[in-house]
Amino acid sequence: MASNANTSRGTVPAKCVSCDRSMDSPLFCAHCRTLYPADDVSHFELFGLDPSYDLDAEVIRRTYLNLARAIHPDRFPRAAEEVERLSERVSARVNRAFQTLSDPVLRAEYLLEMLGGKSATQDKNVPAEVLSQTLMLREEIEEAKASDDQESLGRLRAQVGKLCEQTLAGVAELARRLPGDEVCRQALRAKLNSMKYYQKLLEQL
Amino acid sequence: MDETETILGIDLGTTFSLVAYADEEGPHIIRDETGEGRLPSVIGVVPSPEGGKPRVTIGWTARNHAVENPRATVYSIKRLIGKGMDDIRQELPFLAYAVTAGPRDTVRVEIEEDRYTPEEISSVILRALRERAERHLGRAVRKAVITVPAYFDDAQRQATRDAGQAAGLEVVRIINEPTAAALAYGIGVREALEQGAAPAPARTERGHVSLPQPTCPQGPSDKPANASAAAQTVAVYDLGGGTFDVSILRIERDVFQVLSTAGDTHLGGDDFDREIIKLVQREVQEQFGLSIDSPTTRQALRGFAEAVKIRLSEQEQANLELDLGDNRSYHRTITRNEFEALIDELVERTLVLCRHALRDAGLSPEDVEQIVLVGGSTRIPLVRRRVEAAFGRPPYTALNPDEVVAIGAAMQASVLSGAAADMLLLDVTPLSLGIETMGGAVGKLIVRNTTIPCRATEMFTTFVDGQTAIKIKVLQGERELAADCRALGEFELRGIPAMPAGLPKVEVEFLIDANGILNVAAREQRSGKQAGIQVVPNHGLTRDEVARITRESIEFAREDIDAHRRIDLVNQVEFDTHKAEQMLAKVGDQLKRAQRERIERDIAALRKLAAETQDLDELHRALDAFGKSTLHLAELGISAALKDT
Repeated sequence: MASNANTSRGTVPAKCVSCDRSMDSPLFCAHCRTLYPADDVSHFELFGLDPSYDLDAEVIRRTYLNLARAIHPDRFPRAAEEVERLSERVSARVNRAFQTLSDPVLRAEYLLEMLGGKSATQDKNVPAEVLSQTLMLREEIEEAKASDDQESLGRLRAQVGKLCEQTLAGVAELARRLPGDEVCRQALRAKLNSMKYYQKLLEQL
Repeated sequence: MDETETILGIDLGTTFSLVAYADEEGPHIIRDETGEGRLPSVIGVVPSPEGGKPRVTIGWTARNHAVENPRATVYSIKRLIGKGMDDIRQELPFLAYAVTAGPRDTVRVEIEEDRYTPEEISSVILRALRERAERHLGRAVRKAVITVPAYFDDAQRQATRDAGQAAGLEVVRIINEPTAAALAYGIGVREALEQGAAPAPARTERGHVSLPQPTCPQGPSDKPANASAAAQTVAVYDLGGGTFDVSILRIERDVFQVLSTAGDTHLGGDDFDREIIKLVQREVQEQFGLSIDSPTTRQALRGFAEAVKIRLSEQEQANLELDLGDNRSYHRTITRNEFEALIDELVERTLVLCRHALRDAGLSPEDVEQIVLVGGSTRIPLVRRRVEAAFGRPPYTALNPDEVVAIGAAMQASVLSGAAADMLLLDVTPLSLGIETMGGAVGKLIVRNTTIPCRATEMFTTFVDGQTAIKIKVLQGERELAADCRALGEFELRGIPAMPAGLPKVEVEFLIDANGILNVAAREQRSGKQAGIQVVPNHGLTRDEVARITRESIEFAREDIDAHRRIDLVNQVEFDTHKAEQMLAKVGDQLKRAQRERIERDIAALRKLAAETQDLDELHRALDAFGKSTLHLAELGISAALKDT
């Protein structure tokens, strides 16, 4: 993962090793179509963006489609096997970046780790009240499911949906303050961890 | 090397299969001599009287003789491909042919003494399609895009690819059936719009796709103004003979992006037929105390139930009649309402899956701007009504539901041959991919509906000092426990350098490629140089087995195709000469005597040729020539028929 947020375009190689012309994207040369794994480049850099929580979904989508057009395996139909493998790998990389940047929770998570915060495995802290609340909700869901109580299930769905919304608002507020201080990053970590609990509940519904 | 080598598009269906190709004019379905594009996915194995190699019939011939040859007529093989014995238990009571377990969690079809893999059976059908294409194009074809249900798992996709290889085809891409249908739909709509505001007339010429009418794809939209006006959200509802898929796509000019997919690879027209079969079996049991469940009755009931089902799509009721021997016969009338009650639960299941797909795409029914119906089972009125109610708008039915998938496959084939470089298809993996962790739980690596190609890596280590191999159990499915997911097999990592327990660090890469097929690679990172690890998959056919069926089927199927083609041609000769004789009797007096005698001689000569020749191309040419030489007679016959009315 890239650690240097200030040089968002710094890792684009100046010139293509294959045709020696200048490159616009770290992933491929627009002139001779040579592909680059670009493993050290952040998702933001791939999309030519500065790291930020607030992104224009339409811009991301458009950039994604342009990238996909250039690197998708369908674009290398008669290429050598290693080129095909590389295009799969590079496509997987761009797909992951698009998925991460398009999803507010994944985006906040990625931004947090990129800017010095701990990952979910490093810091599993979840506020005690969230734990007890989700425990209770889980029991209610299981009961309602066991008795096929559609009315309660509907109510629970709305309740958990609301909790997700509120938590996401909190995530957004903290993510906008990144890199922030350690307190801010820890608070964001806790919110993201809570979000996982709520999302799991939502899946059960 | 020809830069734009033709790549076929093949729809390998449960009930019917089709082959198509694309040229500068667009995609074309390749039809048989009678203009029929569908080839029944049925093969019959007929033991040779001299005890030599068995003779194989394919398609209509095999289908029409299923009842006489019940245990050696193989149908719906797509429901068995890539499956293990445990997966198909509920299938067995409805199959007239014998199925036994094969090695590595696979099944075999057993006919007489011989056992066939589902891949082999499928390859016979694929080969027939390939040869049909080669006859039509007049040159050899070696490559194909083959479609599979979107919900096919890794094993089913691999098996389909192996079947292609065994048929002498390099499968350049496996694509999903609903996605192929969306391609055909999307390109059709775009072309229609480009041709002007007025709705383009549907091209009905044989071999062309009927163009869909532009039905106002951008209606009033609440989307922000900066959203592309040309984007459309489409749901493809694909209910075929054996499988159901629903895919939600966003189509934006040339880009077809699948947002989500859901389905059931054991839900289709076959299951509707079975409801009728069960009803008949139950009632015959009640009324006559007879259990009708021999292989012959299974084949007979299947054909019978299918015919009843099709009739009930057009009529309000159909008669069921069965001769049970000994002057006993079962008959009753079944109404459309009764049939709908029988299949209601199955149709409801498809709608639940539609809701799952919508949820995964983050959409609600009203966001879907068009519902495209695909697959023969969408002709059932109940299906259309329920789909309309579920999405709150009438579905789009202008495409031929039998042909649209093959047309889309041909379009993707032309992209891969470099001829249609603007189009881009972005599909997803239908099932989550995971590995078994301690205690039989599933550690998810890739979640369902992730755009492919996609990739995940995971670190593994050893538990015992000096351990040089690690087994990884790879699973597909959504359940929490490994036992409830579909095991793709065990991958064994071999060649790990001997080190104390826990020290090796093996990074395993799981990559799902653009075919939706898993590729596993591994590297040990601790031992300085990143040692390659041999990955040994354990499922389906081994490379050796694929090579064997490829090798053996060559001769086997060459004969089959000729036998099949011969039957078709001889039938056609029979039909054409008989018709000419009828015409001669009716309007022959309008011809000069010399003309009459020439036609009589031609009839006799063609019949003689059909009975004797081994050269099928010669017979085909003679048949064509006969058609031309009797054209005048045929015209006289038609005008006489018109006068009669």
